[in-house]
Amino acid sequence: MKPIDPVKREKALALLASTSDSKLLTHLNSCVRCGLCAISCMYYDTFHEAKYIPAVKVDIVASIYKRYNTFLGKHAPKLVNARPLNEETAEEMVDLLFGSCTMCGRCVTHCSIGVDISYLVHKGREMLAEMGMVPASLQSTVDAAVQTGNNMAIPVEEYTDTIEWMEEELQDEVEDENARIPLDETDCNIFYTLNPREPKFFPLSIKAMAKIFYAAKESWTLSSKYYDVTNYGYFNGNTAEATLIARNLHDEVLRLKGKRLILGECGHGSYANRWEGPNYLGHSYEFDMITAVELIKEYIDSGRIRLDKSLNSEPVTIHDPCNLIRNGGLFKTLRYVLHASCSNIIEMDPYGNDNHCCGGGGGQLAMSEYNERRLGIGKIKADQISKSSAKIVITPCHNCVDQLLQLNHTYKLNVKIMTVAEIVANALIL
Amino acid sequence: MVVYSAMEWYHILAWVASVICFGIFFGHFIRLIRFGMPKDKAKAQGRTSAGIRYAYINSMMPQHKESAYLHLPTYTAGIIYHLGTFLSLLLLIFSLINIWIGWKIPELLGWILGGCLLISTLCGLGVLIKRIVKQELRSFSNPDDYISNGLTTIFQAITALFMAFPHLPAVEMVYFIISVLFLLWFPLGKTRHILYFFFARLHLGYFYGRRGTWPEH
Repeated sequence: MKPIDPVKREKALALLASTSDSKLLTHLNSCVRCGLCAISCMYYDTFHEAKYIPAVKVDIVASIYKRYNTFLGKHAPKLVNARPLNEETAEEMVDLLFGSCTMCGRCVTHCSIGVDISYLVHKGREMLAEMGMVPASLQSTVDAAVQTGNNMAIPVEEYTDTIEWMEEELQDEVEDENARIPLDETDCNIFYTLNPREPKFFPLSIKAMAKIFYAAKESWTLSSKYYDVTNYGYFNGNTAEATLIARNLHDEVLRLKGKRLILGECGHGSYANRWEGPNYLGHSYEFDMITAVELIKEYIDSGRIRLDKSLNSEPVTIHDPCNLIRNGGLFKTLRYVLHASCSNIIEMDPYGNDNHCCGGGGGQLAMSEYNERRLGIGKIKADQISKSSAKIVITPCHNCVDQLLQLNHTYKLNVKIMTVAEIVANALIL
Repeated sequence: MVVYSAMEWYHILAWVASVICFGIFFGHFIRLIRFGMPKDKAKAQGRTSAGIRYAYINSMMPQHKESAYLHLPTYTAGIIYHLGTFLSLLLLIFSLINIWIGWKIPELLGWILGGCLLISTLCGLGVLIKRIVKQELRSFSNPDDYISNGLTTIFQAITALFMAFPHLPAVEMVYFIISVLFLLWFPLGKTRHILYFFFARLHLGYFYGRRGTWPEH
């Protein structure tokens, strides 16, 4: 491993020393290493190795903090396992914080103290990002977003062609040549966003949401350049890149004078924009910002769309994306929408705020270095799906969809994976 | 009522250690208060006050935590152990003040307190043994874990002894000497979580309360 640049090391250490509030200080000093968090972690639960215990991930960050910021850490480091930030420690950090954690936060709710473990993991990632130690595959995803406006580097022409194709498909489906998927229109009520996986691999989900907008007679638009709801800068720990990506989207909404930003079906994208975006930019947004699931609930409540749930009669189960449900507070909203759309819902066990991560979160899907681990921990989700006996798994997150599709193949689950827009579109009464 | 005319050297040490301990904790507390809560510019979706209340009460109930209901013996031992620590601290404050007042603890009360602390000591010992014996726990433990646990357990044990035999000068001396060691380590080791625990719950409640995740459905 190449030596760490001393200037970058100092910048990384400064992240632990500076604080604008008491949160970081609190969590760095709270863990008692009881180890009771172990069973709540998919990595530990799958591989049963001590290194995957969430407290170990906390400890590696806290041990560096202690070495440079506490009395015992400075004067008697061996007493408190205060570790220097050197190449060995940094390498271990990469494996633990990037390769062994999806930042799902399940351990946080079960921690006997209440240590925000995923917050500390993210802090550790920020330190690694300062030192230029982000896994290459994850960094390339962020680079694509920064350079092209979307994390899959889809050229504008390819994207607009796909949108036009989906518009034609929509017109055929609703038998109305006036049905549209608007691009770059100004002064619309809704500025909608997509996960780039949609135009690249699953364009029918774009058509599904467009059908919902059509049914609701909504004034909406997509952007041809900045339509990407994802923000992998949240995963790579590079705050500057995360800010740039968030700002691009924010500025595009203003440019097109959209009244509301609707965050398409993506857990971390919704989280990064909704909960981190205003903090990245340093101010609250000038426009309203909600997720697609919340918007669909509004449509149902107001009667703008009508649904016949008997059109979705197969048994379905719900995968709860961590960043929308546990970390996003949308448990009731998601259930409301799906109970209005489906007649046969079987909950997983556990479900809701306590549901397990799909295993693909935290940037894992972008980090091919850890594919084997990702699919390994995914068995927990696969077992949940099998036990539910559902034929369809619904989830409002395209990253989760990607992981679930791979689990479906790997563990031969023989289920269909659908987004919320797709299942709602199926039930629409036009 | 007996009034002591002079403090022994171990009384003085215990007072000094108490002042140092309290001073360090007070410094930590002031720093945490001064830094305040996160200045979150994202629009709240839920009520932080409700989330914070939930964080301190409901979400601490054993049925809500895998760390509790999947580890009931350890959880129970931990609760008793912590109660023993709080009781020992209260009795230490009383003992420090009682150096001048000289109030004699009724024998029965002394035995009851001693008995309770004996149970909590055994719980602490159990937790310590678990850390030593379980390879996984041992693998990421460090001297702080053993010192904190060991010193707290010994502190409870000697408090139990002092409550049962307050009239024995040797016991009293050992009690205050152990207390000195405990008080000096208390704010430096992981035992400082006595303060940070409350702020951790506060931040957790704030985080989940803002998002509407807590209180739970």
